[in-house]
Amino acid sequence: MIQLIFFLSIGALLFASLFLLARRSARPEGGSGALVEARQALSTLQAGLLPADMVKRIFTQEDWEYVRSVAPQKVRELFMEERKRVALLWVDQVRAQIRSLRRFHRGSARFYARLNPRLEMELAMSFAALMGACSLLRALVYVGGPYAAPRMVGAMANAAARACKVSEESLSFLNAAQLGMLNSRPAGRAAL
Amino acid sequence: MIASVVLVIALAIDPKLYHESYWPLQFGTLVTGYGILLEILNHVLAPYPGAEKFARFSGLMAFAAILCFALIAPRIFPQQSPGTVIEFERDLRSIQAIFVFVLLAVIFYYGIPIGRNMKGMIMGYGLYVLTSLMSLAVRAYAGASFDRVWDVVQPLSYDGSLAIWLVALWSYCPNPSPDPNISLEEDYEALASKTKSVIGAIRNYLRKAARA
Repeated sequence: MIQLIFFLSIGALLFASLFLLARRSARPEGGSGALVEARQALSTLQAGLLPADMVKRIFTQEDWEYVRSVAPQKVRELFMEERKRVALLWVDQVRAQIRSLRRFHRGSARFYARLNPRLEMELAMSFAALMGACSLLRALVYVGGPYAAPRMVGAMANAAARACKVSEESLSFLNAAQLGMLNSRPAGRAAL
Repeated sequence: MIASVVLVIALAIDPKLYHESYWPLQFGTLVTGYGILLEILNHVLAPYPGAEKFARFSGLMAFAAILCFALIAPRIFPQQSPGTVIEFERDLRSIQAIFVFVLLAVIFYYGIPIGRNMKGMIMGYGLYVLTSLMSLAVRAYAGASFDRVWDVVQPLSYDGSLAIWLVALWSYCPNPSPDPNISLEEDYEALASKTKSVIGAIRNYLRKAARA
C-alpha cells in the first residue's frame, strides 16, 4: 500500500506540473524588461526602503509613546491606523522589490555555466523563506498592529541572514578587483 | 510505433509470439523514452547552461533517491515485493516521471520560454508516462483483476500522446531565443554583487529593527 501511495504521489506531482505547463503562456521571461525592473528594485531598496532611519521610524515605539501621552483617544486611534497602513505598505514594497530581484537573479543565473546547483538550491530556499517571512510579517502587522513587529521582524531577519549566507558563498568568485572594475563602468552598462 | 506494428503482425501470426514479444518490445520503448527525455532536455535547455546544469544535478539527485527507495523498500516490506516485470517497468516509469517533473520544475523556476513543438513533446510524452505509471502502480497492487481496465487505458494513453505530438509537431515552431541583452555575465556578476549587498543591508536593518 505504501508503495502504491508513493508511486501515485509521483504521478500526482507530474500531473500538476503538466497542468501548469498547459496553462502557461508563451511570454518570455527574464528579458531586458526584468533587467530594468531589477535596477529599479535595487535603487528603491537602497534609497527608499532600507535606510535605517526609515525602518526605525516605522517600527520603534517612540512616536506612539508620545502620542499616547499627549493626544486624545480619537487621535491615538487615527495614529495607530495610519502607522499600521505605513508598516503594511513598507512590508509590501520590500517584498515586491525582493521578488523582482529574485526574478532577475534567476533570469541571469540560467545563462551562467559556472552555476553551483547546490548553492542555487539553497539560495532558492532562502529566498522562499525570506518571502514567507515577509508574508508572515504582513499578516501579523495586519492582525496585531505595527508594534507587534519586533519579534516578527526578527524572524524575517533570520531568513534574510540565511539568504545572505548562501548568497555570499555563491558569489565567492567575486573579488575586490572585479567589483572595482564593475563599479567603475558607465552607468548604462553595469551600474547595478 | 514500430513496436506496435511488430506486435500487430506477431498477433496476426501467432498469439503466443505476441505474448513473448510484448515485454521485450515494451522495454525497448521504455529505453527509447529516456532518449526522448534527453532530446527534450537538450533542445529546451541548451541555450541556458546554468539551468541545464541545475536540471542535470536535480535529475541525478532524483534518480539517486528513487534508487535508494527501490533498494531499501524491498528490505522493509519483503512480502510486498515479488519483483515482477510489471514492478520493474513501474520503477523505470517512475524515474521517467521524476525526470519530466524535474525538467518542468527547472523550466518554471528559471522562467524558460518554450515553443509549441517542445511543449507538445513534453505534454504528449508526460501524459503517456503519467498514465503508464499510474496504471502500472495500480496493476502491481491490485493484480490481474485490473487487467480489464489496463487493456483500455494503456492503448488510449498511447494514442492520445501520439495525437498530441501530431498536432504539436505539425509545423516547425522553434523555441523563443533568449534575450541577448540579459546574457552578459558581467551583468549577472554585477547584479549578484548588488544582490549580496542588498541582502546584507536587509539583514542589518531588520536586526536593528528587531532590537528596537
